[in-house]
Amino acid sequence: MDPTDGAVREYWQDTLDDLARYPARPEIDMLPLRSTPFATLYGARLTSLGPYRLFGYLSIPTGTGPFPAIYYPPKYQSVLEIIPQGTANLQRSRYITFSLAGRGQRNADTPFAAMFPGLLTEGIDTAASYVFRGIVADAIRGLAFLLTRRELDAARVVLVGNDVALITAALTPGATHVVATPALFYKTAELAAKTPTYPLEEINDYVRLYPTRAEAVRRTLAYYDLRGFAPRVTAATLLMAGAPGTLLDARALEPLVTAMKSPVTIHESEQSTYKDGLYAEKWMAARCGITDVQNILPEHWRD
Amino acid sequence: MSKVRKPDDFAAFWDDVERQASAIALEPEVVPDPLRTSDDVETFQVFYTSLEHIRIAAWYCRPVRRAERTPAIMLLPGYQMDPPIPKEWARKGYIALSVAPRGKLRSNRQFNPGYPNLLTHNIVDRHTYAYRGFYVDTWRGIDFLLSRPEVEPTRIGVTGSSQGGGLTITTAAMRRQVRAAAAGAPYLCGFMDAVGLTHTYPYEEINDYMRLHPESRHDVETTVAYFDGINFADRIACPIIVNIGLQDNVCPPETGYTLFERIGARDKQLYPYDGHGHDAGRYRHGAIVDRFFARHLLDRDGTA
Repeated sequence: MDPTDGAVREYWQDTLDDLARYPARPEIDMLPLRSTPFATLYGARLTSLGPYRLFGYLSIPTGTGPFPAIYYPPKYQSVLEIIPQGTANLQRSRYITFSLAGRGQRNADTPFAAMFPGLLTEGIDTAASYVFRGIVADAIRGLAFLLTRRELDAARVVLVGNDVALITAALTPGATHVVATPALFYKTAELAAKTPTYPLEEINDYVRLYPTRAEAVRRTLAYYDLRGFAPRVTAATLLMAGAPGTLLDARALEPLVTAMKSPVTIHESEQSTYKDGLYAEKWMAARCGITDVQNILPEHWRD
Repeated sequence: MSKVRKPDDFAAFWDDVERQASAIALEPEVVPDPLRTSDDVETFQVFYTSLEHIRIAAWYCRPVRRAERTPAIMLLPGYQMDPPIPKEWARKGYIALSVAPRGKLRSNRQFNPGYPNLLTHNIVDRHTYAYRGFYVDTWRGIDFLLSRPEVEPTRIGVTGSSQGGGLTITTAAMRRQVRAAAAGAPYLCGFMDAVGLTHTYPYEEINDYMRLHPESRHDVETTVAYFDGINFADRIACPIIVNIGLQDNVCPPETGYTLFERIGARDKQLYPYDGHGHDAGRYRHGAIVDRFFARHLLDRDGTA
């Protein structure tokens, strides 16, 4: 049986309460190798639920600010990037950027080193033990840390990522905008059955090997379904949908869009990282008051 | 105009590396993975030994229904991606090996420079540069396939995109047993051209390094010349296709053109995709890759 709305609310409130028991205790060290005339890079270590020590890359533009910020919460990969591969390094001249490794990712892989594939089913038999409870807490802790930076303009804070970005924006205030690409927690049990592709294939693998646990898996995933979080998101949101006909295309995401109370723009993938990436960069820049976006695009994307 | 120049002792350097590698036994281990095995695909975790005795991990998938000797594909990973389980290739009828070269997840116990960092790890010394062993790890993937009784040794292909595209180039160049190769958005080709053409990671790691160590520029340029895929390209003899995106923000298309020009194979074709970035037209190009390998490895015309 799926958990009630009250049980889901209680689960996440307990998570927030547990997280609050551990102060972040940030340590910040400058990284000269990745610092430039236009931005300084720092390594930041923070404590999250567990307690668990995390690592993130914080980049601060040169100048007086205040600056808009882009927060990249934990991705579904082992590698932690300073900014996403292919993003012009000059993005760091206009935005504060903060990318966080959740527990298990590189630089935050002690004592727990996540496997990819594998993380999606780690502890999935019960909601209380599911690894993503901690990862969501990590993402929330990262946003709270970013918001403490005096260089930041709190009216322009963009959260960019997968489902974890949207969940974070729902559970904690601070993000003014969200760019989310659902991949993990939208109708997961239902959609996994329709695809042999990872990461959702991890669910199929797990249920195939442990068929008696299928109901428990479904129940855990119900705590994470984006439809449950959608009404709590107040930030203006850009949803990056799959291309037409794919598993997570705009049509498939309609119930999510309908459930959201905040303004939502949906961009259906054009099967081009150039076109999709350019759309997202311009969307963020327009909302953050950056008028010379051409100057901070990759060279091969400029007009 | 490309800055890529092949060092005079390029062949001697790699002959020496290959000699060192050949003295190390492969010691393959093939471990069934029931969690990742399904009705149609058997999945195994593979381990073998490479240069400096580093143990390399890989995923190995084979169709449950297959011929006694089955064609094989080796899949090579992008710079920061986690090597995928290549079930989809097994479903197309191939035995598939997806290699995690040193430093990648599951191959990082003995060597782990991290990301970012791999690209500039010991970049001032070709004898200890990270990619020296990294390249050999992928070439020994072919050696592993050749050691398997269920693999048809005359029908082995190699493919990958981005770093996987660059590694496809070097593997096809260094293992004559490769019958067909498909390289997408090839990285590690035109290093020193790329760092001037784009300012995105991962190539930006080199700009970061030279900004902090400007005195090392000459050493950096000297080292990467030994590892530049463009300098391996004239050795490629097998049929090969290359796809690039004309708006590629990671691996500049200019480097793809230079690479293609230098490829030695007579049977080669370039697919440039306008309106595409680092995906290099993957969505449209996937069917072309499928037909290419079906023709060369499965003896099918690929039109079905």
